[in-house]
Amino acid sequence: MADSAAEARIDQALVARVQLDGDRRAFEQLVRRNQGMVRAQLRRLLHGDESAADDLAQETFMLAWRRLGQFRGEARFSSWLYRIAYTCFLQARRTPTWHESGDDETLERWQAPMHPVDLRLDLERAMQRLSAAEQVVLLHCVQLGLTHEDASYVLAMPLGTVKTHAMRGKAKLKAALADWHDAGAEEIS
Amino acid sequence: MNESRDDTIEALLRQQFEGPVADDGFSERVMQDLPLHRRRATWPLWIGALMGTAACGFCIDTVPLFHSGWRDWLAGEPSTSAIGMWVVMAAFSLLALVWGLVESSDR
Repeated sequence: MADSAAEARIDQALVARVQLDGDRRAFEQLVRRNQGMVRAQLRRLLHGDESAADDLAQETFMLAWRRLGQFRGEARFSSWLYRIAYTCFLQARRTPTWHESGDDETLERWQAPMHPVDLRLDLERAMQRLSAAEQVVLLHCVQLGLTHEDASYVLAMPLGTVKTHAMRGKAKLKAALADWHDAGAEEIS
Repeated sequence: MNESRDDTIEALLRQQFEGPVADDGFSERVMQDLPLHRRRATWPLWIGALMGTAACGFCIDTVPLFHSGWRDWLAGEPSTSAIGMWVVMAAFSLLALVWGLVESSDR
């Protein structure tokens, strides 16, 4: 918690330098510090399509550079970036040339390298069966580690809705993985 | 029981997440494509300030209290209208000061 607050303060100081005199080196630091999580967020949203995720991540940072003057610190800089990235993802999905990359081949490649394979495959399949809103809420709240408030800001969704989706999503996953429960507790310990 | 199963699901989801992606030249590519930062033009601000001042002057000019207050003040008579004029000016200055402080603390 203290670490993330310190990280946020460093980001804030770098943002102030960019806003003050357009310091490109400060912006480069911001890109280096945040690109990893923004690209991870987009890869999850795009079901592992790395090149499309990187294209959207590039677009995200270009927009951040142009709009940094409008950033007033109402949220953490990283949350602001997640929000831009999520908006870019939604806009890309609306274009006529968009194709859903969640075909079987992509999914298999995305799920492949880990073990124990069966539990992870079941979890991935159970995730696919959740509604889109439940998936994105669990991605942001659990996997990216945002608070419900931050996720509400990033996804432009009311706080109560975020909490409901998180609760329902976890309940559905629990039900889908009920058979794994006893074994699952051993796997992760 | 429920909480521990919640924790198990969350732990599984976190394990499934690969974490931050390695840079591998991504930041450099972003910086190469970054356009020059255009400084925000200040002329709209100055035009706005001039128009605001002109509008303020026009409004004050139509209020008799300020005419008589100013006249009394110049004549060295601290009349009610002269004191009222200064009180109103002080109140607006204070309001502008508070607004400025709130705006600067937000940034």
